[in-house]
Amino acid sequence: MALDMAKYRRIFLEESADHLAEISRALIDLEKEMDNAPAIDTIFRMAHSIKSMAASLGYDPVADLSHRIEDRMEGVRASGRVSDFEELELLFRSLEALETMVAAISGEQGPAPADAALIGALAAQATELADPLPSALPSDSPDAVGGEPKKV
Amino acid sequence: MARVLIADDASFMRQMIREIIEPEGHEVVGEATNGIEAVALYEELLPDLVTMDIVMPKRSGIDAVKTILAESPTACIVMCSALGQETLVMEALQAGARDFIVKPFKPESVIATIKKTIEKAD
Repeated sequence: MALDMAKYRRIFLEESADHLAEISRALIDLEKEMDNAPAIDTIFRMAHSIKSMAASLGYDPVADLSHRIEDRMEGVRASGRVSDFEELELLFRSLEALETMVAAISGEQGPAPADAALIGALAAQATELADPLPSALPSDSPDAVGGEPKKV
Repeated sequence: MARVLIADDASFMRQMIREIIEPEGHEVVGEATNGIEAVALYEELLPDLVTMDIVMPKRSGIDAVKTILAESPTACIVMCSALGQETLVMEALQAGARDFIVKPFKPESVIATIKKTIEKAD
């Protein structure tokens, strides 16, 4: 079956704008209080949501960057706080990069790949916290994850 | 055909699931945007099946699954997951969720998983 992807592109742009604004507000809250749990959770969820929408539409650079932010925030959630202003600055830069990508999609261009240095910096401490790949999920679902990881 | 409750905080995902399953004859009886709503709507609507996102505000999909199944052990719940959530999917399956679908959704997989879950429940 074919979905109306133009409709989903419009929804993506609307929801992403809201999510990016929420991330921005949450980062400002974190600037004042680095262990602000609701702000940490908001950034994690918003990045997760943008990732899923972008992957559904094939906007791989957006999905990749938001996935890295999500992974990073998972680490922040685990530790209960942003470690320092350097990490906060990294998150602000990531937000700016995401905003630029979404603006490019809005302007009918494809998003350029994220800066490799930014991706590397986000991954620097996140990798050791990432979930292991499932080798034996007990589902016989046709969607069962296994073998090559799916890019979501 | 099933009466389905969709629980996902993203309108994008709720609409996509609805658009995939309604042509198959399933009826979307409700949409929840967080885990608290999911539990409340389940109790109110008693759907045949729930599609449950894992990452939601106020109360996670995992918590919602555990709460629903504590009250309704036969509830049919299919998790909606993404890469990086394998541990959470395992937790949900161990708690009693029937199956899972992975984002980005492939319509044919969503349809097949829901069909299989409903058939097993009958």
